[in-house]
Amino acid sequence: MLKKLKHHQYGYLFIAPFIIAFLIFSLYPVLNTIFLSFTDRTLMSRTFNITWFRNFQLLFADKTFITAVKNTWQLWLMNFIPQMGIAFLLAIWFTNVRLNIKGVGVWRMIFYMPNLMMASAVAALFFSLFSFYGPVNQFLVRSGFIPEAIDFIRKPAIMRGLVVFIQWWMWFGQTTILLMAAMTAISVSLYEAALVDGASTMQMFTHITLPLIKPVLIYVLVTSLVGGMQMFDIPYLLTDGRGSPSNSILTNTINMYMKFHSSKGHIGAASAVGLVVFLMTSIVALLIFFLLREKKEQPEKQGARR
Amino acid sequence: MNITNRTKLKINRFFVYLFLVVLVVITLIPLWLLIVNATRSTVEIQQGISLLPSKYLISNYKILLSKGLDLPLGFMNSLTIAVLTTVLTVYFSMLTAYGLVAYNFKGKKAFFNTILVLVMIPMQLSIIGFYQWMTKLGLNDNYASLILPSIASAGSVFFAKQYLDSIILQDLIDAGRIDGASELGIFHNIMLPIAVPGMFTMAIFAFVASWNNFFNAFILITTRDKYTLPMLVQTLRGDVYRHEYGAIYLGLAASIVPIIIIYFLFSRYIINGISMGAVKE
Repeated sequence: MLKKLKHHQYGYLFIAPFIIAFLIFSLYPVLNTIFLSFTDRTLMSRTFNITWFRNFQLLFADKTFITAVKNTWQLWLMNFIPQMGIAFLLAIWFTNVRLNIKGVGVWRMIFYMPNLMMASAVAALFFSLFSFYGPVNQFLVRSGFIPEAIDFIRKPAIMRGLVVFIQWWMWFGQTTILLMAAMTAISVSLYEAALVDGASTMQMFTHITLPLIKPVLIYVLVTSLVGGMQMFDIPYLLTDGRGSPSNSILTNTINMYMKFHSSKGHIGAASAVGLVVFLMTSIVALLIFFLLREKKEQPEKQGARR
Repeated sequence: MNITNRTKLKINRFFVYLFLVVLVVITLIPLWLLIVNATRSTVEIQQGISLLPSKYLISNYKILLSKGLDLPLGFMNSLTIAVLTTVLTVYFSMLTAYGLVAYNFKGKKAFFNTILVLVMIPMQLSIIGFYQWMTKLGLNDNYASLILPSIASAGSVFFAKQYLDSIILQDLIDAGRIDGASELGIFHNIMLPIAVPGMFTMAIFAFVASWNNFFNAFILITTRDKYTLPMLVQTLRGDVYRHEYGAIYLGLAASIVPIIIIYFLFSRYIINGISMGAVKE
């Protein structure tokens, strides 16, 4: 008994490196960001003052900040909804026994591929494709769809659409794989029983499939939200790194980076942006997680997987 | 009745396949154009689109280097960081997860819940505090600031725990103890060899994430010689390359193709790994 107790103490040793690294490289930086956000610290001067809520007051009075927050939410929602739509469609088709799609593994392998591509290279690629003399203009003009080349890079609506498209393009495959994994985990006997009871396809979907894949839906929603709120590489590299044209693709993180990278290196103000977005995202993500999460003790739902 | 149902199914199937083919074209065409254009000269690229490769790969590469873009160096820098990050992520995530699975200590549940919450928190937004802290420690413009944080990767620990939960064999651990092996020895000599497939999946994800990471390196690294590939990619948009389209596409292709190769080799591990992270209980 005593020996066993001693063994279990080893657990602390095994998790110690994680805790130490976490304290140094994650927790302290967060606390430091909170501290900096209450100061007027810049990279250029050694001295600074504690200005308390001054940074936040300025921030909420700043139209650019509000624009960035709105943009980030819009860009995320506009890609998340179609991403979910297509992923649902594909997952339903791929798991439908009657439809019996051939080569499911190959299809979804292809659809997932963009997710692994370097986002900065993808942004630079689309910048080249949509540049004035780029392939998209060449194709559209030569095939007579438009009379002359369009300066896509200066059109706010088109650039927004492009950011949304790229995000969708990179993520719909992953969402499909996750939904499929959740759907194939549902026991076939549930559907058989429902069929006996005379349920329609739609009823089976809303009463069996949806409730049972809810944990995965929440996972997708939360991770996508957290990623979307930090969106940087693609909007930053798609145009001039300032969210142009006319701030249409200015996101929270670009806004934060611009304050950090300003001539004075205003890290106090940049931290304030980071902190506000950090709190906003964490609160929404944790709310979604804890409100939608199913309560414990629910009917058995695990069937044979695949 | 039966026949009409069958024809209906056939028509449905036709449209489903059509949709899938269109989606495949949308998915692949940007990447294909990128790779093809990397082999075409700037003049060819300006003349029009082609889906077939040309023969200017070498000359594009020469143009790229002549403009001062040290692609091989950037490649080695990214590789060094990615390999070290991968090793640290996999080893320490396994160590942490093993601690959680094999022992019952006070605060274990709270620790695991913290890890769950950490997965849902946008840590990137504390980069300013991180940067200033690294500057104080003298670690800014140093790869250590990109590599060492991977010792505490919440997502990987979560994955590793799921994995160990599914394979761990208490009997083996007990047998090891009876043989007089140390606790760490049991982890190294008994658990790690069994967990190789899971570690491999984790390694692929850690490698790709590090390879593609632009933001952190962009904030922390300032010396030109230390630039990683994504940072070099970003400089490709500058004025120096204004009219060297072939060279630009080649630079982009060089950062993407290694990952495509990894993907074709290991896609089974990758796709199974994605589902494993989420489907649980």
